[in-house]
Amino acid sequence: MLLLAAAFLVAFVLLLYMVSPLISPKPLALPGAHVVVTGGSSGIGKCVAIECYKQGAFITLVARNEDKLLQAKKEIEKHSVNDKQVVLCISVDVSQDYSQVENVIKQAQEKLGPVDMLVNCAGMSLSGKFEDLEVSTFERLMSVNYLGSVYPSRAVITTMKERRVGRIVFVSSQAGQLGLFGFTAYSSSKFAIRGLAEALQMEVKPYNVYVTVAYPPDTDTPGFAEENKTKPLETRLISETTSVCKPEQVAKQIVKDAIVVTMGLFRTIALFYIGSFDSIVRRCMMQRAKSEIADKTA
Amino acid sequence: MLLLAAAFLVAFVLLLYMVSPLISPKPLALPGAHVVVTGGSSGIGKCVAIECYKQGAFITLVARNEDKLLQAKKEIEKHSVNDKQVVLCISVDVSQDYSQVENVIKQAQEKLGPVDMLVNCAGMSLSGKFEDLEVSTFERLMSVNYLGSVYPSRAVITTMKERRVGRIVFVSSQAGQLGLFGFTAYSSSKFAIRGLAEALQMEVKPYNVYVTVAYPPDTDTPGFAEENKTKQGNFNSSIGSDGYMLSSLTCGMAPVTSITEGLQQVVTMGLFRTIALFYIGSFDSIVRRCMMQRAKSEIADKTA
Repeated sequence: MLLLAAAFLVAFVLLLYMVSPLISPKPLALPGAHVVVTGGSSGIGKCVAIECYKQGAFITLVARNEDKLLQAKKEIEKHSVNDKQVVLCISVDVSQDYSQVENVIKQAQEKLGPVDMLVNCAGMSLSGKFEDLEVSTFERLMSVNYLGSVYPSRAVITTMKERRVGRIVFVSSQAGQLGLFGFTAYSSSKFAIRGLAEALQMEVKPYNVYVTVAYPPDTDTPGFAEENKTKPLETRLISETTSVCKPEQVAKQIVKDAIVVTMGLFRTIALFYIGSFDSIVRRCMMQRAKSEIADKTA
Repeated sequence: MLLLAAAFLVAFVLLLYMVSPLISPKPLALPGAHVVVTGGSSGIGKCVAIECYKQGAFITLVARNEDKLLQAKKEIEKHSVNDKQVVLCISVDVSQDYSQVENVIKQAQEKLGPVDMLVNCAGMSLSGKFEDLEVSTFERLMSVNYLGSVYPSRAVITTMKERRVGRIVFVSSQAGQLGLFGFTAYSSSKFAIRGLAEALQMEVKPYNVYVTVAYPPDTDTPGFAEENKTKQGNFNSSIGSDGYMLSSLTCGMAPVTSITEGLQQVVTMGLFRTIALFYIGSFDSIVRRCMMQRAKSEIADKTA
């Protein structure tokens, strides 16, 4: 009797697996699509642009520095697959002023047509202990990482909803899935992106606009090098439990639309990880206390 | 053989349940403790202040409006349990300028001693469709809800770490556990609070400072059990069975405060995710239905 029930359950699950692609959203066709990448002049953004370009898309790169934009454009254009492809560069700070961002999107749409996919890669990272971080850092990271994703998304959303097609990609971080030592300011900004994405997806789903949130691990980019400059010891040790990725790998995955699975077992494993992180923090604290005492008695 | 293994497993789990309170953080003693409540002049903040006051704490209320502060003070003082208790009121905008907030905490500590517990209730909520919300709303909500929790926390953290005792409470929301239609700006700010709390907890745990994040539902509830959770140093504080399910479901990599909590999360995860999928399905169909109705009424208007 129990065996029969188990067999039915397995059959049902297999059926769901087979039916699932039929009721999933239709993949976006990249050839000829207009993809806007913010933060597209370096790091993950540039690799995402290259990945889309290789698959035939028309790219608009958005970043602040014009020289870096032109360099990135040259690099991307090496990967063209046909004569018609274009890489457009527009310089703006996406976190400063919404009307500027709106303008940029309008310009891009005039030249390359309506935006099919927006990839929000503009972001920065700083780490340090909560009380050591400069007070302005909290606002700055939130501004660049969060508002810098809100503004471009808001500028494209209405057209996407009208056309009943679109993709918006947000780049969060593994630090946007768990809060880590040294990342009080950064994790908050990346958690915020997840809240934004979840709420936004619920609003735009009936319009065939899909939201993706990427959670890259430590990735070998200029942004990561910046983050390492002020990284506390505890953070470095904890980060060593995962390896550093290449941005090309991350970009490929983002473009493929990353998938998420399971719970239960992972929660158990997670508890062990948290336990080990906590003991790293405790150990560093005790070592520091010891060396302070040693300094005083010396 | 299998039965024996199962019996051992059950015995082990029961043992964990019994041992668990012994290795949990020591509850914070509220009588005589100095509790600072931001956003304490109304709503959840005022009720938290009353709750702590009833249990013997000394309160510092922080909010912007001086009249509302004085009114709240009068209301709170009705619940005093002894002659020595004090309610101090300081007026400031906790999201504006860190040095102002630092000053306020310094004043409070001069009068009532070091801060034992900080409750960050200052916050506001606005909802609307992503493209309909005023652009400034995104920054404003983040400023009040997030920065307005960062600044006071930063002002008390060093002293708490030195004294090796403290509680910091953040008030997120169920909208900080899942993103909901109309809450693009609000959910983001409440999710941010969770990220802040998780990272902060990892930094201050060896110093016996505990962080609690509350996830109230969307209703004004006076009778909170939040205080008990906070005293225990529980990371998650939720209301009702819906709240319990949501907190277990979204626990993710959140710190675990007791073995009991961890066990409950591991066991219920799969079931709760299944239930969640049904909820999400129903939310999506509500959104779809409203959209179709709106489209129909637009067509009706045009042909009329």
